Amino acid sequence: MNSLAPRWRTSLIWAWTAAVVIFMYLPGLCLLLASMTSSRYFIFPITKWGFAWWEKTFASLEIHQLFQTSLLIAFCVTVIAVTIALFGALAFARYDWKGRSIYQKIVLLPIFFPQSVLGLSLLLWFNALGLTMSWQTAVFAHLVWIVPVCTLVISIQVYSFDPALEEAAFDLGATKWQVFREVTLPVLFPGIFSGALFAFLLSWGNFPLSLYTTGADTTIPEYLYAKMVAGYTPGVPVLGTVSTVGAAGLLLVGYAIIVMLRRRRAASDQSEV
Amino acid sequence: MNSRSPILQLRKLTKTFGSFTAVKEINLDITEGEFFTIVGPSGSGKTTLLRMLTGMESATSGDILLRGARINDLPANKRPTCMVFQSLALFPHRTVGQNIEFSLKIKNVAPDVRKARALQLMAQLRLPQDYYGKSVTKCSGGERQRVALARALAYDPDILFFDEPLSAIDYKLRKTLEKELKDIHRETGKTFIYITHSLEEAMVMSDRIGVMRAGQLVQVGSPQQIYSAPETKFVSEFIGDVNVMAVTAKGSSIVHAAEFGVDIASPAVPAGFTAGHLVVRPESLRFIENRSGAENCLEGRLYNEYVLGSRIQYQVRVHDHVFIVEKLRQQAFAGQRDDNVLIGWDAKDSILVTD
Ligand SMILES: Nc1ncnc2c1ncn2[C@@H]1O[C@H](COP(=O)(O)OP(=O)(O)OP(=O)(O)O)[C@@H](O)[C@H]1O
Ligand SMILES: [Mg+2]
Repeated sequence: MNSLAPRWRTSLIWAWTAAVVIFMYLPGLCLLLASMTSSRYFIFPITKWGFAWWEKTFASLEIHQLFQTSLLIAFCVTVIAVTIALFGALAFARYDWKGRSIYQKIVLLPIFFPQSVLGLSLLLWFNALGLTMSWQTAVFAHLVWIVPVCTLVISIQVYSFDPALEEAAFDLGATKWQVFREVTLPVLFPGIFSGALFAFLLSWGNFPLSLYTTGADTTIPEYLYAKMVAGYTPGVPVLGTVSTVGAAGLLLVGYAIIVMLRRRRAASDQSEV
Repeated sequence: MNSRSPILQLRKLTKTFGSFTAVKEINLDITEGEFFTIVGPSGSGKTTLLRMLTGMESATSGDILLRGARINDLPANKRPTCMVFQSLALFPHRTVGQNIEFSLKIKNVAPDVRKARALQLMAQLRLPQDYYGKSVTKCSGGERQRVALARALAYDPDILFFDEPLSAIDYKLRKTLEKELKDIHRETGKTFIYITHSLEEAMVMSDRIGVMRAGQLVQVGSPQQIYSAPETKFVSEFIGDVNVMAVTAKGSSIVHAAEFGVDIASPAVPAGFTAGHLVVRPESLRFIENRSGAENCLEGRLYNEYVLGSRIQYQVRVHDHVFIVEKLRQQAFAGQRDDNVLIGWDAKDSILVTD
């Protein structure tokens, strides 16, 4: 089909793709450039190049603290979100029960709430309950938004799960728990893994929910914002670059793992036909 | 069959879904070591029946007795039975060996013992030994079939259930696998309960066949009995192409076919039989020269003919009714299409059935 397309059409597709890629990634490149100056302020074009701010950033105790907080929140969110979302997805896609269709809609609704409003309402709630804002409340806030996303991601895998696999294992003498551990969990693993990746990255990069709910603790996106508003140094783009590249790297590795898992599965679909 | 004791007894076994009765008061004794096949049209309740026997579905009422003990409340993982699914339900994340060994692993059998048993089963089922570490997803349809059977046999069940495991397989391979399955049945001496849509498949493999219709077991018998002595029109039609005439009783061995306005010599009319159907198999019908050529005779028009491998099938129209006559190719009928022909049969070759 492609080979039949006229040349001008192919060129147009390429031009369009290039434009989109540049549009999306040029700001990221600027971030990188901005981090590689040795002067205090961001002046374009850069006159004095250097990695001074990279060294300073990596040496900073404050930055280490930021990483720890962000990682801790993202890690807790991932573990809790995946656990809730897995069973939520089973209820969502696997079992037929009264009220399932309403549940399917309600559980996905938080995805579409404006996050700043969600953050504010959670803050009001936590205050009403007399809780002190900290990374723990932020974990909870993130979960409200991330569990639905995670549920959706895992549901896709659950939909393609053949319930006969569980029945076969049960029939072969396995207990319910063995069925879950030996069959359900490993077969759903690619979906669970994607869900975990989503949960981690969405929590890692989240700003609006953290802003309202972290209290005295600070995450990387919050810090970046605060520094932009007041007290800019090229340490900001350094941190931004590290945070973004780290996330992208994680995504790539994760994607590679999923592709590998899927490829192994793909063979099964072919031989079933 | 080595012993005559029943291994499985069903007593008034019933399953309802809401107000719908999927399986209705089934009574059946399965003999130890028997190959029993359940046939029936789609939706007749075959799968539901099997799922109750494996323990995956609970019975609404009635009893399931295994060697005399009621097992209704025994969950599937505690029953000494195992099912081969239509989809096979092989574990896609496991190798051939791991699939076969699954039940042994669950029982905490030592890995080397497990492996030895798996390899032994693979040899028995003609799976190459080097398939042991092969991903089950890379196996062909026939190989996957054998892996599924090996996995079930490794569990060492007293009864194996099969829910149309061959239905998605092409004709030639299916014939091979049917034979292999029959061989395995013989070698293991286990009780096999098999579901199929295809009576042909049932005929080849079974010791006995049970025909299901709308949740009920309408007839149980040997393949020979089902074939030559169907009790109802439904069973007779299920077996394949047959000629069926609506008849009413007229004498001790005479019936009347109103459609053709003739009296027909039939097998002895059972007491109480007033109206029903007379069934004549296509191979029992023949073309005759004159009316004295057979005990019964009808005049019609040769309408069409089909070559079916070694046999030829002729369609003969009598009034609005199409009769099927089947002949071996060597004995092909010389008539031309649209010829007027006489078809006939003898009373002993016909069967009286009820609705
Ligand atoms: N879980 C269920 N809930 C409601 N109805 C059901 C359920 N399972 C089966 N049935 C109904 O029971 C009837 C018998 O189904 P069953 O699957 O046993 O038929 P079958 O003989 O195996 O058919 P097939 O040859 O198509 O597999 C069908 O009408 C089906 O719709
Ligand atoms: Mg079925």
